[in-house]
Amino acid sequence: MKLDTTALDSSAALIPSIGGDGVFPAAPSFDLPSCDDFDGFQKNAKETLKHAKGTTTLAFIFKEGVIVAADSRASMGGYISSQSVKKIIEINPYMLGTMAGGAADCQFWHRNLGIKCRLHELANKRRISVTGASKLLANILFSYRGMGLSIGTMIAGWDEKGPGLYYVDSEGGRLKGNRFSVGSGSPYAYGVLDNGYRFDMSVEEAAELARRAIYHATFRDGASGGVVSVYHVGPDGWKKLSGDDVGELHYKYYPVQTTPVEQEMAEAPAA
Amino acid sequence: MSIFEYNGSALVAMVGKNCFAIASDRRLGVQLQTIATDFQRVYKIHDKLYVGLSGLATDAQTLYERLVFRHKLYQLREERDMKPETFASLVSALLYEKRFGPYFCQPVIAGLGDDDVPFICTMDCLGAKELAKDFVVSGTASESLYGACESMYKPNMEPDELFETISQALLASVDRDCLSGWGGYVLLVTPTEVQEKILKGRMD
Repeated sequence: MKLDTTALDSSAALIPSIGGDGVFPAAPSFDLPSCDDFDGFQKNAKETLKHAKGTTTLAFIFKEGVIVAADSRASMGGYISSQSVKKIIEINPYMLGTMAGGAADCQFWHRNLGIKCRLHELANKRRISVTGASKLLANILFSYRGMGLSIGTMIAGWDEKGPGLYYVDSEGGRLKGNRFSVGSGSPYAYGVLDNGYRFDMSVEEAAELARRAIYHATFRDGASGGVVSVYHVGPDGWKKLSGDDVGELHYKYYPVQTTPVEQEMAEAPAA
Repeated sequence: MSIFEYNGSALVAMVGKNCFAIASDRRLGVQLQTIATDFQRVYKIHDKLYVGLSGLATDAQTLYERLVFRHKLYQLREERDMKPETFASLVSALLYEKRFGPYFCQPVIAGLGDDDVPFICTMDCLGAKELAKDFVVSGTASESLYGACESMYKPNMEPDELFETISQALLASVDRDCLSGWGGYVLLVTPTEVQEKILKGRMD
């Protein structure tokens, strides 16, 4: 399958290069390592980078649109490398993508998707649908299947057909659905989300459900934490609703109970 | 993940002026999942001797029970409590007995010896003693702990200042580790009293 190389710098095509027969310049391509065992090399690289999809992201469709929420922790094995990563990527003013897996992979390919969506708008004089955008991304990721990309993303947006939500991953899978959660903390988030979900909720109720679900995932999952960001996608595009630090949310949901003092030491009165 | 990172832990002990403090995190996990947020890692051997055990939780509990057993026998025979230096040698010997099938624990020992001089030491899982005059650390967050202690530690701190320093060092370090944290527990021991405090930390 032909790899999608539109993301690469195409000015290389203008410079006569050593590759090719000297008349036509070589097509731009990602440099591949020259080694005997390419698959083994890829396997080692994948293990070294430890892409465990250590994160919690969720998105669901309800009466008023789509809610998208995520934590903000980046971990490398056991080490927390950042507590303030933007995991909700703004593809364009009416479409959001979530990041799980390799940070570089997600950032790069979401930006690439944004470029493709804009090109579609210019070529067709109308916005791309969420179906179309997710299909574009899924096809690109499928062509790189087996090469070690690690992406588990949800594409959420509002188009002519109303709210749309798709799950796309680096194995080449693409699923349409109403509720998704992706990442190592997703089982915990699903527990809270599935329990509290109703189709007709107000925006505030839906945002609180999403916030609570991500908070519970950060409590139980070691690889999730930091700040809960909640976004809402409506007919006029997306809007960031809140960004709450999980450390403070815990004590807001479960305030510290002061135990009554049974015996208190006091200074003995001077004789 | 290695066997030492299976449960996750963070331990630190610091020496002050005629006192010492030993602190631990409170998380018990199974790899990334958190099971408990009130797990005890610091155990009392006698009034002036405490041991913290990091690493695999089951080995920590078993090793603690063996140590208490040995100390009780010692108390019956010698009719007195063990000195911290002696206890450290005991732990080292017990660990080396299992040289070819070790306990996956790294102990931190802290006590007040003769004339109430504070004593701290740590060991690896095979019993190699490391005596220190200032602080010792152990657990999955040990690298962060080394950095935090190195920058925050001053010699001859009074008990209140020591408590503040060890708490800040512990909380700052576990906030950079996925596998430890979820609160803190600090034990401050002076010749006249023992203070136990639970720290309010980030629960993520």
